[in-house]
Amino acid sequence: MSRAIELSDVVVELETEEHAAHISLTVDLREFVVLLGPNRSGKSLILELCAGLVTPQQGSVRVLGEEWGELSDHARMKLRTRIGTVLQLPGLLSNMTVFNNVALPLRYHRSTLSDRDLDRVVMGHLQALGLAQLRDRFPAQLNPGEIRCAAIARAMVLDQELLLLDDPLAGLDAGMVQRLGEHLANRRQRGPFTVLATMRSYSPFLELADRVAVVRAGQIEAIGARSVIAQKGGAEMSAYFG
Amino acid sequence: MVAWVGQKVLDSLHYVWALWGLVSQALWDLIRPSEQGRREAFRVITRQILFTGVDALPVTSVIALMLGIIIITQAGTQLPQLGAGGLVGSIIVIAVIRELGPLVTAFIVVGRSGTAIATELGNMSVGREVVALQLLGIPVARFIVMPRMVGMVAALICLTLYFDVVAVLGGFLVAKAKLTIPFDAFLDGVTRALSLSDVALTALKPILFGSAVAAVCCHHGLSVRSSYTEVPQQTTRAMINSVTLCLLLDLLITVPTYL
Repeated sequence: MSRAIELSDVVVELETEEHAAHISLTVDLREFVVLLGPNRSGKSLILELCAGLVTPQQGSVRVLGEEWGELSDHARMKLRTRIGTVLQLPGLLSNMTVFNNVALPLRYHRSTLSDRDLDRVVMGHLQALGLAQLRDRFPAQLNPGEIRCAAIARAMVLDQELLLLDDPLAGLDAGMVQRLGEHLANRRQRGPFTVLATMRSYSPFLELADRVAVVRAGQIEAIGARSVIAQKGGAEMSAYFG
Repeated sequence: MVAWVGQKVLDSLHYVWALWGLVSQALWDLIRPSEQGRREAFRVITRQILFTGVDALPVTSVIALMLGIIIITQAGTQLPQLGAGGLVGSIIVIAVIRELGPLVTAFIVVGRSGTAIATELGNMSVGREVVALQLLGIPVARFIVMPRMVGMVAALICLTLYFDVVAVLGGFLVAKAKLTIPFDAFLDGVTRALSLSDVALTALKPILFGSAVAAVCCHHGLSVRSSYTEVPQQTTRAMINSVTLCLLLDLLITVPTYL
């Protein structure tokens, strides 16, 4: 398996959108790909297809070697433990503290882990993302950037092989963006780790990406190295590349 | 008109089928031999029992006591005048232990915990917390529905028993001033009128009511899609449907017992 994601001739018709999405995309293992484009262009849809939340009308969606459409419920749940996903609304559980939110996947899927090891793993992620001092706060007591970072920590706590991030920089301050970039880079150094993220405007974070795909009107218009795409895009895309 | 009635019947069948799906999935999750998430589920069950059972003791005590006083006073004063004083025990068993105990306790639970479950899950759905759980590979049925159902059934069994005891004994003690029947004779009448089937029904009804209420409230809570304004709407539906379903189940149990 050399591909983390393979979307082949995927067609999705959404009631809420005027246009149908036609998508083909491959992301190699260990790659960091950013989907870049304006609001409502279909970036989130691509992420939701990869996360198995949306079933396409046509085409195939293969993630980490598994075809979503062919999996049983049990197999889907199993695959999801290998994929970390943070949607635009991160969905931290409101009745749990930051620590318990991040610890939840470990408590559920690695019930044999000792409390000491669990604490070490969770605090490692929280410290790396600058949330250690907020460990006992509830989501209602956090700002949007902190909520997003906590959700990213939760999405990485099982050492997932693939991370899907929908607008990961929304609400993050400059320090948070830097810490997130470092945390992702560290994780990529430790082993196979693929990232697919969406962005809707320029950020230095974009420079971490191996490839950038420009998404507009439900289609991938261009994909390649950031510098190449920035030149191809012309004046219209210049705002996205800084 | 015929089409409208037909559509309503179909909708009701779909609804009952969806509820049965939740109950059967919860049962399967309860009995299947998997360690995954067992500790987390146990934590939720404990919290549910605490909230549905222990926290409801004060309100249950007050309602049981008032109901007990009313029924025992009525039966204890009216029946002897008709020469049927010996039937007081039977009336207590039939009215309180067989019928009102399980039913009123279920209504208390619907009002307190059922609505709380529907609201909590509705807010979780809008906040994308339920989707987030799925994305973490945590099945909603196992993590959300099953523990709430088990907790509610366990709490309802205990609460019903508690309700019966408070209504019968507490009601008698408070109404004693008006009654001419001595306590020993009253207790003897009640225990003699109480059969094994009454005890079985006292256990069976809370199991059915608890499962139904939990399934209905979870179903409506998880049905909320995109707006917080849907939450009170679904909560109201959950409450009305829970009460209706409890009455329907009671009817289905009680009528065959007497036929």
